[in-house]
Amino acid sequence: MSIVTVQLGQCGNQVGFEVFDALYSDSYCSQGLCSKKENEAYQASCKERFFSEEENGVLVARSVLVDMEPKVINQTLSKAAQSGRWKYGQHACFCQKQGSGNNWAYGYSCHGPKHEESIMNLIRKEVEKCDSLHGFSIIMSMAGGTGSGLGAFITQNLQDQYPNALKMNQVIWPYGTGEVIVQNYNSILTLSHLYRCSDALLVHENDAIHKICAKMMNIRQISFNNINQVLAHQLGSMFQPTYSAEDSFHYRRNPLGDLMEHLVPHPEFKMLGVRNIPQMAENSLPYSTFTWAGLLKHLRQMLISNAKMEEGIDWQVRPPLARLPALGKMPFNKELHFDTSIANLVILRGKDVHCADLGGFRDPALYTTWLKPADAFSMWKTQRAFNKYEKSATLVSNSQFLVKPLDTIVGKAWNMFASKAYVYQYTKFGIEEEDFLDSFSLLEQVIASYCNL
Amino acid sequence: MGRRRWRQQRGDCRVGVRAEALPEAIAALSRTLPTGPSPEIFRRAKFDLPEAVPALWQLLFHVLSQVPEDCATTSLTPEAQVRWVKSTLRSQGYPRPALALLPEDGTQGSRELLLALSWLLARGPLLERVLTCTRVRLGDEMSVCECVDLARGRASLDQPTACKDSNSCLDVRHVQWLMGKLRFQWRNLISSHQEHCALLSKIHQYTRGCHSDRNLCHLSVAEVELLSDPEVGKQLLQRLECENARLEAALDWCRLEPVFWKWTDTVLDASPPGPPDTGSQPTFLPRISDQGTRGLELLAWELQALQEQLGAAVEARRTAWAVQVLAREPEWRAAMQTTEEAVERELEVLRQTWEQGADLTQLHGLHRLVRSETGALPGWGLHVTEAVGALRSKEACLEAALGWLQEQCRQELTRLVGALPELLWIPPHGHWEP
Repeated sequence: MSIVTVQLGQCGNQVGFEVFDALYSDSYCSQGLCSKKENEAYQASCKERFFSEEENGVLVARSVLVDMEPKVINQTLSKAAQSGRWKYGQHACFCQKQGSGNNWAYGYSCHGPKHEESIMNLIRKEVEKCDSLHGFSIIMSMAGGTGSGLGAFITQNLQDQYPNALKMNQVIWPYGTGEVIVQNYNSILTLSHLYRCSDALLVHENDAIHKICAKMMNIRQISFNNINQVLAHQLGSMFQPTYSAEDSFHYRRNPLGDLMEHLVPHPEFKMLGVRNIPQMAENSLPYSTFTWAGLLKHLRQMLISNAKMEEGIDWQVRPPLARLPALGKMPFNKELHFDTSIANLVILRGKDVHCADLGGFRDPALYTTWLKPADAFSMWKTQRAFNKYEKSATLVSNSQFLVKPLDTIVGKAWNMFASKAYVYQYTKFGIEEEDFLDSFSLLEQVIASYCNL
Repeated sequence: MGRRRWRQQRGDCRVGVRAEALPEAIAALSRTLPTGPSPEIFRRAKFDLPEAVPALWQLLFHVLSQVPEDCATTSLTPEAQVRWVKSTLRSQGYPRPALALLPEDGTQGSRELLLALSWLLARGPLLERVLTCTRVRLGDEMSVCECVDLARGRASLDQPTACKDSNSCLDVRHVQWLMGKLRFQWRNLISSHQEHCALLSKIHQYTRGCHSDRNLCHLSVAEVELLSDPEVGKQLLQRLECENARLEAALDWCRLEPVFWKWTDTVLDASPPGPPDTGSQPTFLPRISDQGTRGLELLAWELQALQEQLGAAVEARRTAWAVQVLAREPEWRAAMQTTEEAVERELEVLRQTWEQGADLTQLHGLHRLVRSETGALPGWGLHVTEAVGALRSKEACLEAALGWLQEQCRQELTRLVGALPELLWIPPHGHWEP
């Protein structure tokens, strides 16, 4: 079962490259800490999902690159070619001479319809190379012009043309102090359009990853490359192969489908976040040792106190003893200390993984009253170590973690909209005030639903 | 025990089977049946001993559901199996009410269960169906009609008490969650099917011209496995030997059947006569009296008398009703018209289903998938366009039925909305169409 990736815009293409590079280097890394046979099965499983193979044995990423400017695509292609390990398909990219100028409406209403046929053709060719298509991973920024506007347009088209294939959007959340004045407009338009046509939105917050780079990886001058590498590590730890069942040593065939079935069946709750542990600079790894109990204790506290990394966890936050229905109905502008989850998936990779005890995640107090922990929690694992970490744990969760940032963005956009600032730049390209209002009402509904868990 | 046994009894006189052949007959039967129950079970069941009960429930479940032994037992609890067997037997017209009253914990009633099994055997063609179902298959097959899927799928239908929890109030979000889960599983199933088809097609293409049978041209998955792994060959041999033994046992059974039926008579005599069928457990199939054709005339005469009585009663009711209706005519007429329209629509859907069902009967059963270059068919073949056409028409009638059900739901919703004018109804995301 294969996943076709669509990389959109500058951000989508840069992140996409790092993701494929992380997948490749993990699969062919010599420090898998497992038997040769198992390593081969792991590699084969990864290859089937993300790469096709040319006759000379070179791996080609199952990916389509789309941007309206040639610069980033050319860089990405040459970086992949330079790696000498894997590459992009020869005819897998589409670019134009003129960008979208950070205007969502331009990407969605102009570039989209104009280049629809060529882009969808590229995607169809990539799909035809798969024995079986399982779904799409669409990587895009939320606040720019091309990635966000064109990304929403392409996702809608994918929904029309491949209604049974799964669609997961990797949404890169902008810095709170972003330099694009209309980033909040772009964000609400992206989110509301994706909410209607995508199956899951996996959100990556630039601010959070930036802090990880600074505090955990000890990087002084943080570049987008560093941020994208951390993000790629997180995505890799989600999608690299895991065993299909508790006592099985076969790898899961359909990770995207299983993940969605566990986490996002409810059409009103599609926002996913990912956290992983441990995170550290590569040169510190040989001097570090971890226990499953310690890692999982930290990860659980990161979940309930809404911390994005190990450092600065608030250990005072405790799940409520008795879940009163009134507790969930707190207004969202008050500070939410405890984060309620709808559903969680923990992925464990590495040594002695069978000894890990996940009892802490099966506590009913962590979840909503309408789902039992047996339905709300699931776990995947494999003995093979990931990306040189002897032990590592990843948590993908559908929880209240995004309520605050989402509320902030909607609030800022609303303030601008109320004074009609910059709206003409959107109406000029066919996005009417009515569309804005629809987006606001949809996102307010999402916020309210997450608040009332 | 019906016509079949009657025939057997008459045949009995001609063949003249030895009475001591009973153990042999029962052994043949148990070797033919899917779970291969010990013959001792039958003896115990005759004396209504509780030890035989669980094995017999399980046997009935397998025989009725025709699910392979290994995958059925894991999915349903014993109680659910018992409930399922009871309801299936009832819907098939099993006449003894005593069975329905048996406890679900599987502690008593082995004699009743033995009688139920005998009833199924007597009604036939049970063993033939079971044997077809467990046949070793070498080809890649597809079914055009639903009967195979239905027989397999039915087992999962009955889990009535599992979700009824009247004490806790149900959150609608939980239902939506389950619905979403179902949707994802559905999509996963579709893509698995597509992958299966793509791989089958690859195997058929790559093995073109390899088959010794000219009609087939290429190998099937099972045949490729046989060639690539000698261990699979051994397993196949084992399965074939098993099937052979079962078929031989079935032949023995055909020869010795009369002895079994004589013995069943003694079981029937030993069981207390049940209370007359009061109709509290409705049976859906008409029963024919054992007295034979002479009784029929009497029956026909009685039926006619009853019909006349009924006609008179209906007439009286109708006049009384007409008097009532005249008083409130306009509203009644409107109500009647809507009812008539609804009935008309439902009839139309049923008619379509029936008409398309009639075409499908020729395409009944499993078909081996064969990719042919020339397009020429051996005599028994079914062309792919015919199969696709049949599936399309089936899809169309399922869609019509679905549309009708959705319309029903929509009307119900409109009625509910009308009942609560102060409420504002907003459709969920992704359902904007009017």
